[in-house]
Amino acid sequence: MSAAMLALHRVGIRPRMRGRELVLLLVVAIALTTGWASLQSFRSSQLEVGDAWLLATYLGALAAIHLGFVITGRRMDQILFPASALLGGLSVLIMHRLPQDLAVQSIAGRVLELGPLQLLWVLLGFGVMAATAILVRSDGWLRRYKYTWAALGIVLLLLVFLFGEVTGGARLTLTIGPISGQPSELLKVILVVFLAGYLAENRWLLATSSTSVGPFKLPPLPYLLPMLAMWGLALAIVIVQRDLGAALLYFLVFLSLLYVATRRASYVVLGLLLFVAGGAVLYQLFPHVQDRINVWINPFVDPQGSGYQIIRALYAYGRGGILGTGLGAGLPQVGAVPSIPAIHTDFIFAALAEEMGMLGALAILGLYVVIAERGFRIAATAADDFRALLATGLTLVVVVQAAIICGGNLRVVPLTGITLPLISYGGSSLLVNGAVIGLLLALSDRAVEPPPPGARAGVARRLGQRVRRAGGKFEEAIS
Amino acid sequence: MDVFTLGLWALRIAFVVLIYVFFVFVARALWQDLRAGVAGAGRPLARLHVIGAPEGRPSPGTSIPLDAVNSLGRDVNNSIVVDDSFVSAEHALLTFRGRAWYVEDRGSTNGTWLNGQRVEGLLPLGYGDEIQVGQVRMRLERARQE
Repeated sequence: MSAAMLALHRVGIRPRMRGRELVLLLVVAIALTTGWASLQSFRSSQLEVGDAWLLATYLGALAAIHLGFVITGRRMDQILFPASALLGGLSVLIMHRLPQDLAVQSIAGRVLELGPLQLLWVLLGFGVMAATAILVRSDGWLRRYKYTWAALGIVLLLLVFLFGEVTGGARLTLTIGPISGQPSELLKVILVVFLAGYLAENRWLLATSSTSVGPFKLPPLPYLLPMLAMWGLALAIVIVQRDLGAALLYFLVFLSLLYVATRRASYVVLGLLLFVAGGAVLYQLFPHVQDRINVWINPFVDPQGSGYQIIRALYAYGRGGILGTGLGAGLPQVGAVPSIPAIHTDFIFAALAEEMGMLGALAILGLYVVIAERGFRIAATAADDFRALLATGLTLVVVVQAAIICGGNLRVVPLTGITLPLISYGGSSLLVNGAVIGLLLALSDRAVEPPPPGARAGVARRLGQRVRRAGGKFEEAIS
Repeated sequence: MDVFTLGLWALRIAFVVLIYVFFVFVARALWQDLRAGVAGAGRPLARLHVIGAPEGRPSPGTSIPLDAVNSLGRDVNNSIVVDDSFVSAEHALLTFRGRAWYVEDRGSTNGTWLNGQRVEGLLPLGYGDEIQVGQVRMRLERARQE
């Protein structure tokens, strides 16, 4: 053992090799370098790697994070990080390839264009991921204050309702001083934390029914209220924020978690019925919902207007074919106009599918499947209900979002504007998804603090009991 | 076909193929995990030693092997059927999660008891602890090393 190792041991740090992760990261590095070479060679018409500082910085950061995990000796999942790293690398690559003036921002006196700007956000996102994975050693701060988190989420939502700025027809962006961001990204994590806490505590009660309405067996009314509140929240987001994607994501994640916690299909059926009913009413009342559905059913009715974006994307898949046009050889813009509006955010999947072909697109979907597999495995081996539900929820937030936007891009489901996790351009999305992956890694660590024995009678729990007691009285009064 | 066109084509195909190579490595890791899981599958995680059962089902002195999830109760669909007149159909759940054993009551009429204390919520238990469902007393023991 070397002197450096001994010194580390003395301060309580025991490095631990992460062989599997290292091998996978090497494959990621080779794949990304090949992609970069293919792009640069196409641009300069000679076989070369070219000036690769963007890629080199990214790979350097990956190596640093891996080293950080090794030195701190964390026994975490070894596949989740390389899979995320490959997605992040594809993001850096495709942003470098797209027209650089799609997003320009000046930070600290330097003007950054799309490629470097995205690299900065990806690095910050992965920084958050590594920090979360290494520093989170206990889940008490999430477990104990679930009602506080829920309150925070509602405050965040109200702030957006009141002060949000409208971008692309949806009220999404919140600006506080110099910082602007999209709180709906953060809200999805807060929602999962709250639901995991609530369901872990009331799982048995929700799973053993007592009242029945028609063919459905339902839990007592007070336990049903959060479900209805959730449904109302999704509707409110659609009406006030015009953010169909976020509403769909929240509701799907909520229903899935409810099913995972209770194993009762009747809740899912009921939830879907509520969803269809709500959707039908919204379709009648709001023209922007009608637009989305009509464009989905037949975009060619208005090819130069509302159908333009999706038709362009369909053409792009056609140009790409099975093997793709190759990086750089696609058609991202006609003259100075991007051929697909919002190609760097909502339609990044179309850009990748055009240049990497169907095989590349399937590979990207496969990476999300890998993330899902790891996430659900972490959930299955979790030490208690809260952790299992939290890991399930965090995994669902990432992969359901990917499914919604990829499905929208491919015209499988109506298009709703949300980001493709870890790939789309955008700071809020990358930071939050980084934190989600980081939390999953922390939950997979076999050396984290074991869960507290039994249920704790904390302030929040007592408050919850009081609310439930009041709800119970209310039910007695009306029955 | 000149060298450049061929080289560019090769690079472009190699890029997509390498992502699939990544999947091959992931699949290999999964396969190894799976094999490790199968290798340890024949061995029970722990045993439940029956100390006392006045009605004789299960008979005292037997040692029941445990899986990761064990349901206890009088119903025949439980993984451990405890046929005692004071036991509910779905009585209790004994689970191995992460590194520890946990016991929880499934809303039974007469309750589940851990070392003489009534189980409420999820309680961790160690080897040597005593569980009582109905009139049946059982002790959690390590799986014997072969």
